[in-house]
Amino acid sequence: MTSVPDPGAVLEARDVHKSFRAHHVLRGADLRVAPGQLVGVVGENGSGKSTLLKTLAGTLPADRGEVRLSGSLGYCPQVPVLNHNLTVGQHLRYFAAAHRLPGLDRGRELIRRLGYEQYEEKPAGELSGGTLQKLNLTLALLHDPDVLLLDEPYQGFDWETYLHFWDLVEDLRERGRAVVIITHLVFEQDRFDRLEDLVGGRLEPRTVSGRDTHVNV
Amino acid sequence: MSTSEPRHAGTAPAFGQFPTALRFSLRNQTRNRMAALLLLVFVPVWYLLMSAMAGDESLRFKLYSTGEMLVVDGGRLTLISAGLNAITMITGFAVFDAVRKTLAFDRRLVFAGYRQSVLVAAKTLSVGLVTTAVAGYAALVLLVFWRPDLAGWASVLAGFTVIALTYGALGLLLGVLVKNDLEGFFLIIMGGLMDTFLQNPIGNPLANKPVLQWFPSFGPMQFGVGGAFADTALWGHLALGLTWSAGFCAAGLLIFRLRTRNAAARA
Repeated sequence: MTSVPDPGAVLEARDVHKSFRAHHVLRGADLRVAPGQLVGVVGENGSGKSTLLKTLAGTLPADRGEVRLSGSLGYCPQVPVLNHNLTVGQHLRYFAAAHRLPGLDRGRELIRRLGYEQYEEKPAGELSGGTLQKLNLTLALLHDPDVLLLDEPYQGFDWETYLHFWDLVEDLRERGRAVVIITHLVFEQDRFDRLEDLVGGRLEPRTVSGRDTHVNV
Repeated sequence: MSTSEPRHAGTAPAFGQFPTALRFSLRNQTRNRMAALLLLVFVPVWYLLMSAMAGDESLRFKLYSTGEMLVVDGGRLTLISAGLNAITMITGFAVFDAVRKTLAFDRRLVFAGYRQSVLVAAKTLSVGLVTTAVAGYAALVLLVFWRPDLAGWASVLAGFTVIALTYGALGLLLGVLVKNDLEGFFLIIMGGLMDTFLQNPIGNPLANKPVLQWFPSFGPMQFGVGGAFADTALWGHLALGLTWSAGFCAAGLLIFRLRTRNAAARA
């Protein structure tokens, strides 16, 4: 394991190992993400995608290896982690307090762009699965982080929201934010700068992809 | 891991962490409809049933601080027991449910930059406020069935408040400790029933035995009964009850802190 950080990377994982008892989920995963890059991590069910993302996010300690992050981080878990008694607006205020934000402008803009402003006063317990996922994503984006880790972020989105989601990601990329999306299905490979397949606990850059995928490894 | 905020540095935060956490913790703990229903309906019904069951036969109740054996009205004594018991269930259940359901959410808040100590303080204060309100309500409803003098009623209120804080703290501890709802509910209901009913001499061979001193409701029951029937304020016993409360609370908050802390430190 080398400890010299890559100066161009905003997120870097080297030789990350993680086991759950005898089950070795990650066996030396490496990942490097530069500012403005959109990277897709693709793997089958049970391949360790969420374990990798939690390790990158720091919510799960790696057994071995190194994860380096420069700048702020936003993490959108696969299953929405929300408080069903609080309204959408109260979630915004709670997380604005967590991030010490000067206001709710960014949150309101995200709500508008994801098209659920009519639910701002509704408790999360009364929202549909798709709207919960929108709120889950909004909370991860609220502080406009340098690096975004998104675990299956468009699950439950209708087509229109799916397109809004990609508009948002494009906007983040243009502003130099690094985005890592973990998914078991890639519908449109050409949206990503790079795809990494999680196979056997390691990440392998996908070199052959459909259509006009551009690969910047 | 902390998600530092260089982009927002220098601008004043719009929402203070403590008032925001306190407000939303309170909201969260008062949204439990089942607990509200228990409070509004169960408390008076329980008083009614228990006092009807006990009748007005005289019972012998030992005050441990003085060694005195009081002869008291069984119905009234049972009202105190019933109030203590109802409070154990309602506060334990309400706090357990609220804490357990929001544990993952609290982790996310800490991950997003909430200071753990602020979250812990707000949660503790909110548990204290909600459980004290429950105790106040139970003591007010008691007046429908029995009018002790003011000092006596204040003693019962103090006993109720301490048991409410104790079982609120137990709810907090179980909320961060147990894996599923049923385990927690079972422990709260069985624990509360055993604890409070063993203190009452009605049909209970263990009553007035020294072993009862090791139960959480011992102090509040002694304080309430001492004040209501013997014009005595047993401060040491009230403090004993508060010690149970502080013990459960400290253990619960320690586990909460461990379970919401971030796994890795960042470079």
